[in-house]
Amino acid sequence: MARIRVSDGQLEVRLVGLDALWALRRRLVVPLSAVRGATADPGAAAEPKGVRAPGLHLPGVAAVGTFHRGGDKTLYAVHSGRRTVVVQMEPGADTSGFARAVVEVPDPRAAVDDVNRALSRR
Amino acid sequence: MARPRSFDEAVVVDAATHCFTDLGYAATSVDDLVIATGLHRGSLYGAFGSKRGLFLAALARHTSSPREAPEDDERALDLLLVASLELAPHDDEVRDLVRDACGALGPTAVTVLGRRLLERAHLEDDLPEAEAPPVVPTGPTPTTPATRRA
Repeated sequence: MARIRVSDGQLEVRLVGLDALWALRRRLVVPLSAVRGATADPGAAAEPKGVRAPGLHLPGVAAVGTFHRGGDKTLYAVHSGRRTVVVQMEPGADTSGFARAVVEVPDPRAAVDDVNRALSRR
Repeated sequence: MARPRSFDEAVVVDAATHCFTDLGYAATSVDDLVIATGLHRGSLYGAFGSKRGLFLAALARHTSSPREAPEDDERALDLLLVASLELAPHDDEVRDLVRDACGALGPTAVTVLGRRLLERAHLEDDLPEAEAPPVVPTGPTPTTPATRRA
């Protein structure tokens, strides 16, 4: 499970509970200028994830951590996948190379609206 | 690294437009868009950033370019209806695009959108006669019926 927060021109993806442990990463903070949008997308959790480094992957059960596929670096934190949000980024030094975050949050609709509202004010 | 795009953006945006106008914005899933456009999920996100980004691209494309076929006209109106109903109430950027599109439709915008809404509901044959504007008592004034602009 994760939390997405937008403040002070930054977007923070925070991993909570054991997810932070599996991923060996507690958070990813990127400038809003490197964020391209957010989408509620339960189907994204079912996509092939690629190679994990480091992370936990139990296909069909959970994917948590950093995964590489087709040249894209993605931060995953999905379990059931039902409340998945995809945050697309412009990969670069300020996103630690991540192209996107695919994470489950308590309220996907609110998270997506927060991110996209912040982007349209940019 | 961003790979060069190997798809025709216009074709992709049109396919997405069909999803949005047939299903509505909220009910269109990214799975639907992946199937309709034939793109990989990653390419879709890479090109448009989000479902909203793709919707904005569709709205911009359909409300700015001159349209050749009447069904494109209907498609554009349907997209405007979806945008007005689902996104404009809480999305400033979409509201601006809808405002511009209504401005381009001119003074008949309300009639055109209302008529299209009832057409979509298969009620075009049951439409009440448009109310004639109050006639100024200086002989007959020709009133043009409000029809959809070709």
